[in-house]
Amino acid sequence: MQAVENAKLRLKDVTKTFIAPRTLKPTVAVSDVTLDIMRGEFVCIVGPSGCGKSTVLNMIAGLEAPSDGTIFMDDRPISGPSAERGVMFQDYALFPWLTVQDNIGFGLRNGTPGHSLSAGEIKDRIEAHIDLVRLRGSEAKYPHQLSGGMRQRVALARLLANGPDVLLMDEPLGALDAQTRLILQSELLRIWGETSPTAQRKTAIFITHDIEEAVFLADRVVVMSRHPGRVRALLDIDLPRPRNEHVRTTQRFGELSEEIWQLIRDEALEAIA
Amino acid sequence: MSATAARAAAPARRGARFDPRGLVLPLLALIVWQLWALTLPHDSPAPSPARVIATFIELVRSGDLPSALAMSLGRVIAGFATGLATGVTVGVLMGAFRPVRRVLEPIIESFRPVAPMAILPIAILWFGTGTPAAVSIVGYAAFFPLLVNTVHGVSRVDRKLVQAARTMGVSRPRILAKVVLPAAMPSIMLGARLGMSVAWTAIIAAELAVGSKSGGGNSGGIGSMMFVFYAYSVDLNGIVVCMIVVGVVALLIDQLFRAAEARLLPWRQ
Ligand SMILES: Nc1ncnc2c1ncn2[C@@H]1O[C@H](COP(=O)(O)OP(=O)(O)OP(=O)(O)O)[C@@H](O)[C@H]1O
Ligand SMILES: [Mg+2]
Repeated sequence: MQAVENAKLRLKDVTKTFIAPRTLKPTVAVSDVTLDIMRGEFVCIVGPSGCGKSTVLNMIAGLEAPSDGTIFMDDRPISGPSAERGVMFQDYALFPWLTVQDNIGFGLRNGTPGHSLSAGEIKDRIEAHIDLVRLRGSEAKYPHQLSGGMRQRVALARLLANGPDVLLMDEPLGALDAQTRLILQSELLRIWGETSPTAQRKTAIFITHDIEEAVFLADRVVVMSRHPGRVRALLDIDLPRPRNEHVRTTQRFGELSEEIWQLIRDEALEAIA
Repeated sequence: MSATAARAAAPARRGARFDPRGLVLPLLALIVWQLWALTLPHDSPAPSPARVIATFIELVRSGDLPSALAMSLGRVIAGFATGLATGVTVGVLMGAFRPVRRVLEPIIESFRPVAPMAILPIAILWFGTGTPAAVSIVGYAAFFPLLVNTVHGVSRVDRKLVQAARTMGVSRPRILAKVVLPAAMPSIMLGARLGMSVAWTAIIAAELAVGSKSGGGNSGGIGSMMFVFYAYSVDLNGIVVCMIVVGVVALLIDQLFRAAEARLLPWRQ
């Protein structure tokens, strides 16, 4: 009962079936997912390609309606997108006609996140987020002039600049080099509120293919499986917070990573074969 | 490294660079033409480059050509502006709202194959042989390429971009202005360029036709000037001057649009 009261997001028997337009052939992308995500929790979703991770995220965002079941936020059913739930898309969805800085400022200038801010405050926020994702010097470039990793960082900066209460991130660091990735993992934990009491933390859902990244970041890891997309296992990551690079060398970190790897190994091997 | 970057960027700026090799053939033709004209008797009315140039200078000095050109250009600009405003407005509404498209598509598709010249009789009956008739024909001609390309651009906007804006709490009207319109801009610019080129074609044809209708070519403009040369003074040199001016102006307008496109859409690769 306690847990349900604290749930920020509740997925109840959520199923998503896509119907192909011409053949009318149904594809079950997500089947019977039931999951409570607590306020202030950092949840990572891992699973093989095509198991429905992005579909789950899009439904939580309110961009797709479940075919069956309901998703609640703060005990109210989600019926459409809202700026409270910010999304970073797997393919970034940057506006090609805007420069890096204008992409980062798009929500602040045009959407609800900037309503209470002055032009000067918006400018400061944009500047701070350019620095955060280390894109100083490229702020006046257009997306087509950037590398894949740079584009990904613009998308992350745009999400974080909007300051949403719930962060929905679809493989947000997947295209980055190892060093930038580690730096941004720590920054992400800081922005999420790792050093604050749980009540002040944001709620984060983070999709990744990198098991160690999931273990480093998460309070809980959701392991999904394919055909159809289901929740295969839920793992509590009982590593102490705040976490630093040292935690990666601990025995517990290794055990948890190994456990997740065991859970998805069979399917991963199947996918390669 | 920057040298290869510059080389790679060069072909992207289509039409911006002038290639002197393009002049070889026209120059050769001019020389052949002049040599042929030299073999003719001295009082022959056949046009030659030398006589065309002389006629051109005379027409410029008398002010006839500049004023005719100004009149035609003025009509094209007025007509194009009308076609632009209506084409883009209706195009955005049709592209963004399915019911609007359903209602308007049959009417528009049935008018589209009707050539601008085919509405000339109605235009003359309604507006007479002056500027309003010419402007309405130009507007009609420019409307369709603008409309079709705007509808295409708006209805093909990446859905993900609209979704991204919705997750940032951007209102529907603002999404139209800040996402849909900029995303459709390359298509709209293409429509504008095509619209302008048919507008210029239409104005000459309209002025020519109005000239023949009113019997005196009193509609003014460069098309009407051509009609006078053809029907009254039978001056082939004058007609050739007009043809060349019409062609050069069309080329300049196209270059202007390409330059505007490069400036307005710096984000296109
Ligand atoms: N719009 C759609 N129409 C039809 N089928 C879809 C659609 N979106 C997703 N699917 C199908 O749903 C399944 C899950 O897709 P989803 O994108 O959620 O996978 P994923 O876990 O995010 O994969 P990846 O790790 O490769 O990003 C796939 O089989 C996919 O083909
Ligand atoms: Mg995905």
